[in-house]
Amino acid sequence: MPDLLALLVQQSVNGVYLGCLYVMVALGLTLIYGVLNQINFAHADFVTVGAFTAFFTATRFATKVLGLPDAGAYLLSMFTALGAGALLGLAVNAAVFAPLRDRGDELRPLIATIGVSVLLENAQLALFGPIPYQFDSPFTRETIRLGRIFFSGQSVLVVGVSAAVIAALYAFMRFTFLGKALRAVAQDRETAGLMGINPSLLIGLTIVIASALAGMAGALLGPVLVLSPFAGASLIVKAFAIVIIGGFGNMQGTIIAGILVGIIEAFTVQYLGSGLIDLVVFVLLLVMLVVRPTGLIAERKEENV
Amino acid sequence: MNERVKARTALGTAIVLVLLAPWVLDQPYWRGILVVCAMNVLLALSLNLVLGYTGQLNLGQSAFFGIGAYVSTLLIKSYGWNFWLAALVAVGAAGLLGLALAAFAVRLRGHYLAIASLGFAVITYQVLVNWENVTQGVRGIYGIMPPVASTTALFYLVAGIAVLVYVLIGNLVRSPIGETLRAIREDEVSAASLGINAALWKAFAFGIGAAIAGLAGCFYPGFVGTLVPDAFNIVESFTMLAMVIVGGMGTMIGPVIGAIVLTFLPELLRGFGELRLMIYGLALTLVVLFMPGGMVQAWMALRARIR
Repeated sequence: MPDLLALLVQQSVNGVYLGCLYVMVALGLTLIYGVLNQINFAHADFVTVGAFTAFFTATRFATKVLGLPDAGAYLLSMFTALGAGALLGLAVNAAVFAPLRDRGDELRPLIATIGVSVLLENAQLALFGPIPYQFDSPFTRETIRLGRIFFSGQSVLVVGVSAAVIAALYAFMRFTFLGKALRAVAQDRETAGLMGINPSLLIGLTIVIASALAGMAGALLGPVLVLSPFAGASLIVKAFAIVIIGGFGNMQGTIIAGILVGIIEAFTVQYLGSGLIDLVVFVLLLVMLVVRPTGLIAERKEENV
Repeated sequence: MNERVKARTALGTAIVLVLLAPWVLDQPYWRGILVVCAMNVLLALSLNLVLGYTGQLNLGQSAFFGIGAYVSTLLIKSYGWNFWLAALVAVGAAGLLGLALAAFAVRLRGHYLAIASLGFAVITYQVLVNWENVTQGVRGIYGIMPPVASTTALFYLVAGIAVLVYVLIGNLVRSPIGETLRAIREDEVSAASLGINAALWKAFAFGIGAAIAGLAGCFYPGFVGTLVPDAFNIVESFTMLAMVIVGGMGTMIGPVIGAIVLTFLPELLRGFGELRLMIYGLALTLVVLFMPGGMVQAWMALRARIR
């Protein structure tokens, strides 16, 4: 394989790996927006809480207390992170989204969750300090070689887990009664309520699922991210970029846009330098907002645009 | 007492308080906090014009603060400009950038505008970090002199400007222009059907708001002595948002009170270490949930109950 082609394929592989991580973060945002038409600004801070939970599970609890091997400890940490995310989801729903839901103001929940985000970041700062943590996944050390293309074990794990999560979400939405009810609530909350569906319960469920995904994404992102209390602040803006590029509330669009942004990022690092990643992604976001605010896949006409 | 006398009395009281403040809080540290407080009042006033009176959730205000700081400092340090001339150009530059953001704001509403303005702030921050030839990037610019020698004089200067801006914005929002902006806030479609050019007036609010934030930015580098991009991170936008919301958006005095409270409260809580920074987030969330009109509304409710 010629050098250039190998390089292009290698960077695309890296991009897809990164993109899958972004999809895991952005899916929750888009899920909540699809059902509730609201933004959880603290979503990316749930990711960092998940990452810290996973870090302490993997390095302290699972290895020191339970005596698990490294790989097992890391896999277990994905589930504790998931649990931490779910708990945060329950809390933010009870404290912010449920009380503000029927007041019909789209900006108040957003502003309230900005407060939650600032609160979580500074709480983490007080607990863990400003110095970034080194979170190593045992799977990063394993490399698989295919011709001249290298995959890390971690990237295979991430792509696999993301694919499984997406498939499970899709199956849940399509084939289960709850999924059908959720889609009904997303389409028309009042009518769904009249059909004997409890919208509050389903909206709460959506927020918990979305937040659990964010927590688990933290465990997967931890080894990639510079794990510090403020990591969420830069992540949330990128997640917004992905959700807007994909079309707010549109799951397929979010998946495509997430992987696209991952690939763009990989090539930006290769050709322009890593300092320019955010610049490139956000210029793309602003261009997208001007040219096609409904996102790559326009589902319905947005009245916000 | 008629309105005019009331307004004059309030203005007089404010001026007396400003004059007395550095002599009540006479340690150098607290005089420094007073300067920060005056800058925060300016920033809160600037955001309130856009958010409180025009109803546009702009999360990009930190960008204009940064542009004011960098443009004025670079003109002074690299080209040897006089402070006031540099400040004038910096304010103009921030205002123009505000108009650039307005180009998005006239097309987007609600969540989309919030995210676009946030993206705008991140891009500005990234330019400050990456354009090292000009901004020195994260290494920063050092040895910046304030326009006046003493902290007390700097406080009087910035606080004087804040009072002036307060009076000017106060007159603006009482004028027909203010009514136009409020009409856009309440219902843009209805406003348009009354012949209001919403795009034009939104751009006006963004431009003026950005220029005022840029003006605050001119005083920041001289006060701190150094200039790094991190001072204009998007978190700064959230701090301003907290001040406006906690005080009471869409009122004149609310954001001023919010800025004063949220400048001094964290200082008084120094004993709690890093935990004290949680106060911004906590205050923001609690106010949105339990008293959406902020401290001004809470005060009115309290006074009504006493009577």
